[in-house]
Order: sequence, then structure tokens, then C-alpha cells
Amino acid sequence: MQIRLLAFAHTREKLGFHETVVECAADESPRMIVSRLAPALELEGLRVAVDFEYQDWDAPIGAASEIALIPPVSGG
Amino acid sequence: MEISIRFTREAIVAPPEVLPSREIGACLEFQGIVRETEGGVALAGLLYEAHEPMAVLHLERIFRQLSSAHPCAAVTFIHRLGWVPTGEASLFVRVLAAHRGPALRFMAEAIDRMKADAPIWKMTKPE
Repeated sequence: MQIRLLAFAHTREKLGFHETVVECAADESPRMIVSRLAPALELEGLRVAVDFEYQDWDAPIGAASEIALIPPVSGG
Repeated sequence: MEISIRFTREAIVAPPEVLPSREIGACLEFQGIVRETEGGVALAGLLYEAHEPMAVLHLERIFRQLSSAHPCAAVTFIHRLGWVPTGEASLFVRVLAAHRGPALRFMAEAIDRMKADAPIWKMTKPE
């Protein structure tokens, strides 16, 4: 299966893309997928959202269609 | 509760005030303005971005939850994206309620929770 991976703000700058498509399996977690794609990316301090909902880094993605890497937010 | 959430790349213009009923006794407005300095560094402005569909989902949930504790009739939320020059508004929130107490508490908690959980970011460099 494929999943859309989104990156924002400083994480987007570090990765060099806003959006990419990644091959993955339903039993993989966001941590496994992101670590495979960007092994140098420090996940400490980043939250992850799966299909718009904050989720545990180690929970399987199931049939999700989007993973978003969420650096510390600062709206307002 | 009536909820309006919008992101814009244009300067924020406060929408016309429409009272949903004759029971509105409090109209509270907040604007977040880009300051000249951030962490002691002089800025020409700030660059905002958001995960818009996720932000809308979470803001709507936050507003509905807060409305249970602090009954309000309507909230209008407008957040600017892209480059926002110093002195201009990055955020506009209007809360309508029957009484000032719930409106004030709703406003304070809504902004706190937006800053904690809504996927919106500001950066200090221009596009």
C-alpha cells in the first residue's frame, strides 16, 4: 500500500519536501515508516498525526491514507 | 453553536457582526498582532503555515468541547497564512454569548488550546 507523508515548518525544511508518497504495510507504525524514509530525522519533540488525528508513534497505521509530521505548533 | 473557521492569505478583515438571536449580550473580539520583536530579535514579519483540514477538524472539536463548559452562541475564527508583516493581524476570533463570563472564558481557553494543539506554525523568515 501507499501512504501520503506530509511535513510542515522546520521539519519540512529539514526533509526538503512538503509531501511525498511512501510504500508501506498496514502493520507498520509511523516510526518505522519515517525512520526508513529519513533515518537522520530526530523524532524527539515531533508529534505524528494519522488521517488528521494525533496518534502514538508506535501504533500500526492500518488503512490510513496520510501521515503528518507535526513539529511544535505555534499558531496565533 | 455556530462555528466559522477560515484561513486566508489576505489581510484579515473582520466580518460583519451578525447576531444569531436577540439573546446575545456579549460580543468579544480578539486579534493577534505580529510584534516587532520575537525572542529579542527584530522582525519584519512572520511566515505562517498550517495543515488546514486537520486544523479545522481540531479547532471545531475544541470549540464544541468548550461550548459545553462555557455556553456561547457563535465563534468566528480567522487565521492568516503566508507572510504577515509586523503590525498586522495573524488571528481574529469573535465570540458571541448571552453573558460575558462564558464568552471571556471560552475565548481564553480556545486560544490556549489552539496554541497547544492546532497544527499551525509561524516561522521568522520570509517566503
